[in-house]
Amino acid sequence: MPAVRDLQDRLGYVVLAATALAYFAVYTTSLGRPPGSFDYLAILNTTMPLVLVALGQSLVVLTGGIDLSVGGVVSLCVAITAATGGTPGWILAVLLLGTLCGLVNGLVVAYGRIAPILTTLATLSVYTGAALWVLPVPGGSIAPEVRAVLSNPNAPTGLGWLALAVAGWWVLRRTRFGMRVYAVGSDETAARAVGVPVERVKAKVYALSGLCSAAAAVFYVATTTAGDANAGAPFILTSIASVVVGGVAFTGGKGSAMGAVAGAVALTLVIDVLFFAGIDPLYQSLFQGLFLVVAVLLGTGAALLARRRSA
Amino acid sequence: MNRRVGYAAAVAAVVLLLGAVLSPGFASWPGLRAVLVVASFTGFVAAGQMLVVLVGGIDLSIPWVLNAAAIVLTTTGLGMADRLPLALALAIGAGLLAGLVNGLGVAWLGVPAVVMTLGMNGVMQGLTLGVSQGLTCGECGHYAPQPLRDLFAGTVPAALLVWLGAALFVTVLLTLTTFGRRVYATGANPRAAYLSGVGVKGVTVALYTLSGGFAALAGIMLVGYGGQASLGLGDPYLFESIAAVVVGGVSILGGRGHYLGVVAGSLTLVAVTTVLRAQQVPEHGRLMIYGLVILAILFAYGRERAHD
Amino acid sequence: MTVMATGVGRAFGGVQALRDASFAARPGEIHALAGENGAGKSTLIKVLCGAIRADTGTVAVDGRIATAFQELSLLPDLTVAENLLLAAPPRGRLGLVRRGRLRHEAGLVLSRYGATGIDPGSPARDLPVSQRQMVELVRVLASEPDVVFLDEPTAALAEREVDWLAGHMRRLRDAGACVIFTSHRWREIERLADRVTVFRNGTNVATRDRMTEEEAITLMTGRTLGATYPEISAIVPGESALTVTGLTSGRLRDVSFDLRKGEILGIGGLAGQGQRDLFLTLFGAGKPTAGRLSVTRNTHAGREPGTTAGPDSPSVNPESAPATAGPGRSSHRFAARMERWSARQPKDAIRAGIAYVPEDRKAEGLLLHLSIRDNIALATLARRSRAGFIRHQAEKAAISGIAATLAIGAGRSTSQAAGTLSGGNQQKTVMARWLLTDADVFLLYDVTRGVDAATKHDIYHLIADLARDGKAVLFYSSETEEIAGLCHRVLVLREGRVVTELPGPVGDAETIVAASIREPADA
Repeated sequence: MPAVRDLQDRLGYVVLAATALAYFAVYTTSLGRPPGSFDYLAILNTTMPLVLVALGQSLVVLTGGIDLSVGGVVSLCVAITAATGGTPGWILAVLLLGTLCGLVNGLVVAYGRIAPILTTLATLSVYTGAALWVLPVPGGSIAPEVRAVLSNPNAPTGLGWLALAVAGWWVLRRTRFGMRVYAVGSDETAARAVGVPVERVKAKVYALSGLCSAAAAVFYVATTTAGDANAGAPFILTSIASVVVGGVAFTGGKGSAMGAVAGAVALTLVIDVLFFAGIDPLYQSLFQGLFLVVAVLLGTGAALLARRRSA
Repeated sequence: MNRRVGYAAAVAAVVLLLGAVLSPGFASWPGLRAVLVVASFTGFVAAGQMLVVLVGGIDLSIPWVLNAAAIVLTTTGLGMADRLPLALALAIGAGLLAGLVNGLGVAWLGVPAVVMTLGMNGVMQGLTLGVSQGLTCGECGHYAPQPLRDLFAGTVPAALLVWLGAALFVTVLLTLTTFGRRVYATGANPRAAYLSGVGVKGVTVALYTLSGGFAALAGIMLVGYGGQASLGLGDPYLFESIAAVVVGGVSILGGRGHYLGVVAGSLTLVAVTTVLRAQQVPEHGRLMIYGLVILAILFAYGRERAHD
Repeated sequence: MTVMATGVGRAFGGVQALRDASFAARPGEIHALAGENGAGKSTLIKVLCGAIRADTGTVAVDGRIATAFQELSLLPDLTVAENLLLAAPPRGRLGLVRRGRLRHEAGLVLSRYGATGIDPGSPARDLPVSQRQMVELVRVLASEPDVVFLDEPTAALAEREVDWLAGHMRRLRDAGACVIFTSHRWREIERLADRVTVFRNGTNVATRDRMTEEEAITLMTGRTLGATYPEISAIVPGESALTVTGLTSGRLRDVSFDLRKGEILGIGGLAGQGQRDLFLTLFGAGKPTAGRLSVTRNTHAGREPGTTAGPDSPSVNPESAPATAGPGRSSHRFAARMERWSARQPKDAIRAGIAYVPEDRKAEGLLLHLSIRDNIALATLARRSRAGFIRHQAEKAAISGIAATLAIGAGRSTSQAAGTLSGGNQQKTVMARWLLTDADVFLLYDVTRGVDAATKHDIYHLIADLARDGKAVLFYSSETEEIAGLCHRVLVLREGRVVTELPGPVGDAETIVAASIREPADA
């Protein structure tokens, strides 16, 4: 039953569409007018950091791993960006550093043979400590011209960056490396047996996740115009949630980073939906938690249905 | 017992010795007692975490199950000794219930453990914040009933006996009972266990329920220790519980591990932080060293087997 | 020589898989490696193709190598096309993979090698195991190698597909390639190999152009075996033990039969005709949609019949009770209708006196890193416990008893990990688990797969002994010969239905195979 199986594969898009509809409905009924371009832009700018972290996280999850250190890498990169004022030169340095942090994870996982969840748990602590070292108290700034290019509240520059991220994935998926990512996640032993350089693929994937986290950090500072050494912590669980809602399987090899991107946007939208629906913000995480589980149940339910029909 | 328990114990011994050398007073009973008491909190959450890790699962709902139980305790106990039994029952019950729902979601609905428990963490957080109105409710300011706080008084605090009891419970359950055998079998190969008549789903549900109960127990003890409940009380215990389990020599892939190792792991983690604090290492340095110590331990005995 | 290994040694943990092994093969020959499980054949192939390093000795292989490993190396989430062309996918501008082209080219490769009926766009996971094996083989063939290693290439193939592979192996040989393969089926070695090298205990013991099966077995085991199959005609089946009526489940369609006490009933047919669904469903691990099932229990003193006995209810220790000392019998239908099937899980079936020994011991049978004792005890834990606590003395006695009876692990302590045992001993460990349950009905699903000749022999006699003790045995094997030699009666399955019933012992496999592929009379 390919149509039903597609639902599982496209879970992220289905959930995003449903959430967007809900957003449109509650916004319109509560304010008496449909959301305008300013609202969409605000959502886009708020969601960009999570979109990027989720993109990197999904790559790691596709190989059957998990990256808890995204929280630490984001914190560290936020701290450096804000502390240095986010000039283009420093931004480049931050992107390099993020990649390096990710690469360390990758090397430990691939060559040190330590489970990803444990490796990144340990480095999370190291990177978070480093962030605190760089920026002991919240503060810092970002160059206005950088902000104008990255997350301009008045011009849809964010859309361009989102398109760039999507295009990056599209290209990656069509390289041999992209195929190998799926091969490693699908069955590592078999991939090794047919000549896939499993260690190198893993190292690269974690490095890419680090790069994505660094980019997310730059966007974060651009949007909030200041830094905080604990800024990254929430991204650990929200990036995992995005990946899950996006229909990427934790066993690896199944799903798409685009699903995770859709999941990230949906998760951000849910907060607005709750707000416009007049729900006490204290209950916010209750509904986010339910949203997560229900979205996944929807996916597994569809998969189950597909299996029933084909049996 | 397996080799990894030995390693875990050795590491704990080395860290404690190092502490004794580096900071005077650490080796004294009051110094050690402080470490043990703080380690017991990690020990409680890690007991639950270990049980689910043994079947290849994970419990990310620990922070807010813990926090919810802590707040249930203070708001129903109202600081009165005679209300304590009721408050304890409600707090533990809340933890068990959250764990039960986790277990049912994982075992019967097939929701991945990461998702189910992450979602539950959110649900518990929302419920706790919402119902207590952000801990501003009338009953929210109460202290823990006195008998609970007395657990932490004396030369040998009764809290440590509670930990000893928990350790005995988990160890006996896992090593001497048929249930324990089924747990290890499920962790080692769920399909084979199922085809040998093990009620894999039932075992899974029981373990998640126990994990919820242990998180609640930790919350109760933390309230007794600190006197009052606060928001974010459980946040440090999510990753700390996983770290303690792994430093304790439990395989993250399931099927292998003993609680004795986890006790050693909890001691190691708390002792490291305590020693660094005593050395007046700033917070950023503590975090970095903490991470590096875990990494070093992982390299020593937490590696997966070679590929060929 | 194209392939040459001299004095090769290799150890895994404490187990010496290869010791001072030497091997040579030349271009233009098909060379078979024969030997019991754990004799070192697979390890030698892995060393020769470079998947693992040798600890000692030298290895030299000339030319392009391609290997089909015993553990299938297809990537389940990738499509057949991606699997076939992973190493060199067709790429366009910017070096990007061209998806449409990929699929097209894969389709061409499949048809060029005569592997028809496989959709190149289908994920490998969705293919039946025989087709997966074929894709794996096509990938190896398509690389047009000079040296080919095929480790148990026919294990998952039906007879027709074996012919297909045989054709390709001969073609490669005639083109000058060196083809090296292993098989547990002597018939295939006899039919295909130009030369045979026999391995025993990690080293080569003989290389010859011709060899009879008896010679080979002697070389492989170091001892001579009696008649291959035990005499079963002296065992007379008694009354009904298990009645199946109109069972529909998975691929199965409306299957009915009666399995009697002391009977070995064979289930024949080509691979994938519903045999697995039949076994799993009878064991409560399938999802039946129609039909009914009833078992007749031998009741033992102290043990309640059927499903009314709880799993933790005290019961007579089967080790101390005579196996067939049933003073009374009761017929207990543990499902009146499938819709209300009470054996919803294996637990229920075990309670009703049914045992299931699976083919794939690593996936479905063993807990590899747990001890041999834990493995054997697993299905009968409740019997040796009081209030949920294990009675360790009783357990120790029961387990060492059965381990000694079956000669598991050659005197090794039962506290060692099951993963350290050889394949044959692993299978015996799983058998021991089920013998302890003292079941009345044994479902044996391809239990000799990947097992060495000596253990196979032991297992045949074990099965005959079960029947002699009045147990009912349902037997399936991917080696049709075993069904022909060992069963009182054979039901042939085709597309989920029973198409023929053959009285046994059938004797020759050809009769069963012919019945498997013949069109039904009424069609």
